Amino acid sequence: MSNNKIDIISVVQSKLKDKVEIQLGQLGTAAINTTNGLHRDVLKAMIDADEKTGLTAITGLDLGANLGILYHIHTSNDFITIRAEVPKNNPKIQTIVDLIAGAAFHELEVSDLFGVIFEGNELKGHLVLSENWPEGIYPLRKDVIANEVKLVPAPEERKPPEMGKLVKIIIGPQHPALLEPEKFVVTVDGETVTKVEPRIGYVHRGIEKASETRTYVQDVYLVERICGICNACHAYGLVAATEKILKTQVPERAKYLRVIDLEFNRLHSHLLTLGHAGLEIGYETLFQYFWRDREPIMDLIELISGNRVYASLMTIGGVRRDLKETDFPKIKTTLEDLRKKIPFYRQVYENEPSIKARMKNVGTLSREDAIKLCVVGPVARGSGYDIDVRKDDPYEAYGEIPFNKIVYTEGDTWARMNVRMDEVEESINIVLYALDHMPSGPFRVDVPRNVLAGEAVSRNEAPRGELFYYVKSNGTAFPERVKVRTPTFANIPSFLKTAIGENIADVPPNFVSLDPCFSCTDR
Amino acid sequence: MTNTVTWSRVKSPWVLHFNSGACNGCDIEIVALLTPKYDVERFGIKLEPSPRHADVLLVTGCVTQQCAERLKRVYDQMPQPKFVVAIGACACSGGVFAGNYNVVGGVDKVIPVTAYIPGCPPRPEAMIDGVVKLLNALNPPKPKKLSKQEKQEEERKAKEANHAVALPEVTIKPAIEESKPNVKQ
Amino acid sequence: MIDIWLILRILIFPGFAFILLLTLFCDWVERKFEARIQNRVGPMVAGPAGILQPLADFIKLLTKEDIEPRDSKRIVFKFAPLVAFTIMVFAICFLPIDGASVLSTGGFNGDLIIILAFSTIASFLLFLSGWASCNPYGTISAARVLTQFMGYDIPLFLIALTPAFIVGSLSIFTIASGVTLASGQTIPIILLAPWAFVLFIITMQAELEKDPFDVPDAESELVGGLETEFTGAKLAFLHLTRDVQIVFGSALVVELFLGGPYGPVFFGVPAFWYSLWFVLKLLAVVIITEYITTLFARLRIDQVLSANWRILLPAAILSLMLTVALVTWVYPLV
Repeated sequence: MSNNKIDIISVVQSKLKDKVEIQLGQLGTAAINTTNGLHRDVLKAMIDADEKTGLTAITGLDLGANLGILYHIHTSNDFITIRAEVPKNNPKIQTIVDLIAGAAFHELEVSDLFGVIFEGNELKGHLVLSENWPEGIYPLRKDVIANEVKLVPAPEERKPPEMGKLVKIIIGPQHPALLEPEKFVVTVDGETVTKVEPRIGYVHRGIEKASETRTYVQDVYLVERICGICNACHAYGLVAATEKILKTQVPERAKYLRVIDLEFNRLHSHLLTLGHAGLEIGYETLFQYFWRDREPIMDLIELISGNRVYASLMTIGGVRRDLKETDFPKIKTTLEDLRKKIPFYRQVYENEPSIKARMKNVGTLSREDAIKLCVVGPVARGSGYDIDVRKDDPYEAYGEIPFNKIVYTEGDTWARMNVRMDEVEESINIVLYALDHMPSGPFRVDVPRNVLAGEAVSRNEAPRGELFYYVKSNGTAFPERVKVRTPTFANIPSFLKTAIGENIADVPPNFVSLDPCFSCTDR
Repeated sequence: MTNTVTWSRVKSPWVLHFNSGACNGCDIEIVALLTPKYDVERFGIKLEPSPRHADVLLVTGCVTQQCAERLKRVYDQMPQPKFVVAIGACACSGGVFAGNYNVVGGVDKVIPVTAYIPGCPPRPEAMIDGVVKLLNALNPPKPKKLSKQEKQEEERKAKEANHAVALPEVTIKPAIEESKPNVKQ
Repeated sequence: MIDIWLILRILIFPGFAFILLLTLFCDWVERKFEARIQNRVGPMVAGPAGILQPLADFIKLLTKEDIEPRDSKRIVFKFAPLVAFTIMVFAICFLPIDGASVLSTGGFNGDLIIILAFSTIASFLLFLSGWASCNPYGTISAARVLTQFMGYDIPLFLIALTPAFIVGSLSIFTIASGVTLASGQTIPIILLAPWAFVLFIITMQAELEKDPFDVPDAESELVGGLETEFTGAKLAFLHLTRDVQIVFGSALVVELFLGGPYGPVFFGVPAFWYSLWFVLKLLAVVIITEYITTLFARLRIDQVLSANWRILLPAAILSLMLTVALVTWVYPLV
């Protein structure tokens, strides 16, 4: 890593001078207002200057007569938003797929939900909308009352699988390997995979549209239920973005309590994935052991909040409940007990021959591909791409708590599982430190019901990777737009690439190692 | 003979889990049922991979438009006698997402449901309670003959319970659908 | 003239009813053992300690609706599971269980080959049933079953010949009786060729398609494997065939290596004690194979095949050569 911080803003300013308008401090490090075509020039300038430039999300906005498109770009040190607008009666804009390979699905989603046509993007069809949704009606536009849209009969899709050399195996929507419904059509030649075509959208519940008709506080409960596994992170994302618009000062105690809630979330999610991976490779005993050790964490979450899964601790201005000092010893003993079991699991992953046979050199993702496809989370850190929002862009109390970033370089399924195992230990350390250094004071502040007009982004490190929220407010108690980009959405293209050329039997472990959460992806 | 058949059906309910658009909260609690802390294999419940092997369909999720047809298809593939259990507030009525576009809202709008287990997500103990109530409804245990003292004790407990906080009740619809003549698929 | 005694032996003990009950009992033992290793309890409600659970599963499956997919091959789909089950039970009838087998008192020279052939036919019928269901999962799983059991049959036969070499006969009765030393004691084959015992257990694990060789039944890729389309009575017999195969494989290990049903007789009828030793030794082998199952993950098909051709087959040949050498030069001295 070079020691000089690349000053992206000056690079853009020098290359494009007065053609673009740069607003510092807005939507990340800066927001750059461009027009159709210029957005590509800005992006090219950034990519030429910094090789770690990648796309976080593309947000669509309904601005009345125009459709706004926001490209949220992350570089080595900064987070820049490039704005562009297209008129509604001719919503065409040039694609950026040739510059950033991982942008394909993001663009398809905006064209699915808003009707923007990205010239040069070859993906067609619905991404998240169902087959019986009528063409030409875009639910996230303001003039569409989405639950009164008349649905059309779905087109027939009964094609028998081709016998002969190439067989199409359909994984999902009902499948023992997947907890959730998604369809993957895997084309195999004998036992080798040649192509994977996903069809997502089975879990699309229209949350982004629904959040516009509920108040901010109601939205915290709605948005939390995007995913039951990483629920605290979703709640935090919305709450943090809203607090940035309101410029609220969250009390110190609340920050530490939020860290504890987020780390409990990470603990239970990693133990869940590690166990689920065992189930995929036929190792039921490991699955049972991991989930047995996960139960004390669920008890802890119930201790601090009253519910095993949905802690619902986050609220705008702080946390909903305080943590009693009398509960600290129980939390500490439970975490210490868990820590004692980690060497056993590490030794299983190191020495167990059947695990090594099934997980080593399976689904290898090189570092260059990881950067190009903009993957996040343990998938990136398992391939040597060391990004972690808690370290790169510290939020809440993470800036004050010492912990390590876990990076493995092998890039295969085994490495990703080990990243998660080590992160379990790091999370235990973080919670214990937070308990020992908990500041006293209030745990929430009051916030006004009507949020003044503005927009903000927030990023946090969910168990699966970077979770991104964009919130736009209009002065009322209801948000104007809430945009969520979940980590699995960013990681799916990497799966489509790593599965090719592998054995069909390697598809489940490879799939589980990227820790897919389709309820997050579809929203 | 029917007693033996009912006994075997009650002691060996094989389960298929289908997620029709859920947030995963209920699903991970269902998978947690198989783990050492709750262990539903005690009741003979096995998680089956194929719809053709299962007796009970556990549905979670608020049934999105995309999933509605698949849910119906999976239900049709199951052999009689079969039961459907809707787990979670979303499966019972759509939950938090009721009224959204793309959401049908509730499993009973697509397939007939035998038992509803509310909660968001319902605790594993609540799910076990629901399953046991379903199995008892199929094969009701004979009521014990109580002595006078035990009857008084029961009445006293019933009076006290009226003052306690009401917990969400598990509701069961009656009757098993007996098999119709074998319709060739 | 009809021999009532023979008919009772065939139908009840040690014939059909005994084998059926033993199969259900071994299934229960397996499930409880696996549950205990995984820190759970296993079936508890059906009967005392859940011992009637496999029986409840079987009866429930018999009373389910029988669905036949339109595209399946009718006759094979209907009858393959039942025929496979029958052949496996027939194969067990050749083994000495209470001192004598179901069908004869002394067996005949060559019945080892016949029962190994029967087990191959039963596995082939399982492949046919998967192929007849015409479901892509069933077809792929059936292909894997075929590849696996045909590959592993070769080392299985070779290792099964080791006891035959030591004893000098292909009759199961003679092999089960063990070797008589010069001092007059009879010892089981395992003490003379322990390496063959280990290799046979591993090969049997692959023949019975248990972890780590569980490939045809890989739930995570292939949904239900070759059983995907079966319901009702056919599924009941498929499951039963699998369980009877496990009993057969374990019984074969007992007969070939552990001295069969023969053991010390304390008082009364020897047949009772022989049956008791047989069941105890069978349970020990079932627990050993189940222990191996719970300890390992599932291998891929190419890893399973390479384990066969690169490791097991050369090991089987070496084991045979070693045994022949020992028999010719070393053991006559003992």
